[in-house]
Amino acid sequence: MTTSSETRDLREAAVDALVKGVEKDLDIVVLVSDSTSTASIGPFKERFPRRLVNVGIAEQNLLGIAAGLSRGGFIAVTANAACFLVSRSCEQLKTDVCYSDTNVKLLGLNAGVAYGPLASTHHAINDIAVMRSMGNILIFAPCDAVEAFGAVTAALSHVGPVYVRLDNAKLPVFHAPDYRFSPGAVDLLAPGADVMIFAMGSVVQEAMNAREMLSQEGVSAGVANVSSLRPVDRNEIVRLARSSGAVITVEEHSLCGGLGSLVSETLAECGAGVKIVRLGFPEGEFAKCGPRSEIRKHYGIDSDGIRRSALRMSEKKGTPCRET
Amino acid sequence: MNGGSEGCLENPFGLAPAEVEAKAREIRKKIILMNSHAGQGHTGADLSETDILATLFFNVMHYTPDQPDDPYRDRFILSKGHGVGGMYCTFAEAGIISPALLDTYLQFDSPLPGHPVRQKTPFVEINTGALGHGLSVGVGLALSAVMRNRDFRVFVLLGDGEMQEGSNWEALMSAAHFKLGNLVAIVDRNTLQLADRTETIMALEPLAEKLTAFGFDTVEVDGNDPRKLISMFNAIDPHATRPHAVIARTIKGKGVSFIEDQPAWHHKIPVGDQVRQAIEELE
Repeated sequence: MTTSSETRDLREAAVDALVKGVEKDLDIVVLVSDSTSTASIGPFKERFPRRLVNVGIAEQNLLGIAAGLSRGGFIAVTANAACFLVSRSCEQLKTDVCYSDTNVKLLGLNAGVAYGPLASTHHAINDIAVMRSMGNILIFAPCDAVEAFGAVTAALSHVGPVYVRLDNAKLPVFHAPDYRFSPGAVDLLAPGADVMIFAMGSVVQEAMNAREMLSQEGVSAGVANVSSLRPVDRNEIVRLARSSGAVITVEEHSLCGGLGSLVSETLAECGAGVKIVRLGFPEGEFAKCGPRSEIRKHYGIDSDGIRRSALRMSEKKGTPCRET
Repeated sequence: MNGGSEGCLENPFGLAPAEVEAKAREIRKKIILMNSHAGQGHTGADLSETDILATLFFNVMHYTPDQPDDPYRDRFILSKGHGVGGMYCTFAEAGIISPALLDTYLQFDSPLPGHPVRQKTPFVEINTGALGHGLSVGVGLALSAVMRNRDFRVFVLLGDGEMQEGSNWEALMSAAHFKLGNLVAIVDRNTLQLADRTETIMALEPLAEKLTAFGFDTVEVDGNDPRKLISMFNAIDPHATRPHAVIARTIKGKGVSFIEDQPAWHHKIPVGDQVRQAIEELE
């Protein structure tokens, strides 16, 4: 972990990884659905104009064509807003990409509530749940630009479908330039004895900020960045959970089918007996709309919300069931 | 991928029209026997498309039966995936799969499932079964040929009812935009869908005008006449700047009198004396 105050856009790192991929002779085609600006794909388009295909506002066709291009020998990379990817083209995702096991990489842009004020049509708070429900696909959710570069690079070298959840915010860089993203690894960003916070993607920074505040209040919180949701090292999740005895999961995602579900299932199945609080959007609800920071505050997935949950947990640590 | 065979691929059989007709009869007999053995299947759809499949695989398409990964092969996509029985029987007749496998059709974990699965069957380019998918994938494949400067053609067989899926019209729009003359969309126009006539459920006509308006070079042909199908397919110019649409006018259940044009036979199976009568009619 580095403590640099540098912030970077994950999309730029992702596009950089695509450019580097072509430079290394990977036969990549990038497909957008009028989402050229959403994807910040400019630098790729400038270098390799013939490797960019714009299918227009047609997300079903986007994935079908991507699958066809991959069957023609290309590594097909789609880049559009995660909300439309997982909803509008869900059956193409299932059939043309996952079931057919085609070599398609899906960049889910501006996931979570990145488009906060634009409301629920533009929120993607079930993308991880949708991907986890599908066969054959790997699922990555990098938390900073260094990791986004690594995740896209890993996606390109894997033969088969991969989803990479991305964000349009400039996020702090937690990883040193020589960090190697490793599919399956749980990335312990900071150790902690009292509570372990498992976080995913753009809210890892909220967890890190909460950790900082908690340390001043005498609570030692660890932060584990779960950037690879499939594959995932479940033994490491259990080990980290047991090491602190209390677990918080944080995600800008529904509590149904995302990181909180993954960690809960893992801990329950091995009888870890560790208390867990899941922070995210409640099951069965759409998220409220508005500025992203206010949405996070409302649902307690900002740094202060995580801090409060951690304080409550550390007070009640050892009691058998969860406060609701 | 293997080295491939750029520029020297042909149809492995190159059968004359009368021979293709004979193959179609053999395929139809296999369909009747396979479906009655399996106890399930889409008999009407299988018989509707048989002449198109026989024409493509025994005269038109360039491929080598034991080289399903040859990058220069022509591609076939069965977008109307429920017609898989007709495809398996064509593949068995062409030596792509063993005829013995037909007895496993629809069984548990069978190599021949009820819709095409590319991991299980050679020459299946993409898994289908949900309608409205194959044409987009065909556009991607045809585009890959253009981008790689390869000469292969892409044939996509669609059901007519399937044209009610909106995704097909996204695919049509893009095929014309990308000027994919190497793409041939064939509509198996038997005028029946699961519940009733297409024109009763959700009218498609004027279909030729719609396809033409979407930028396709559109022809109509008797889809149960290999002679006409062969001359039509061989007149298609893969280097044209417009993609090609073929409205193949067919009869659902073609070849067996009591199955022909009967909505109930969409997924009905011949049993007992029906099997014997069907085979007799096909002799």
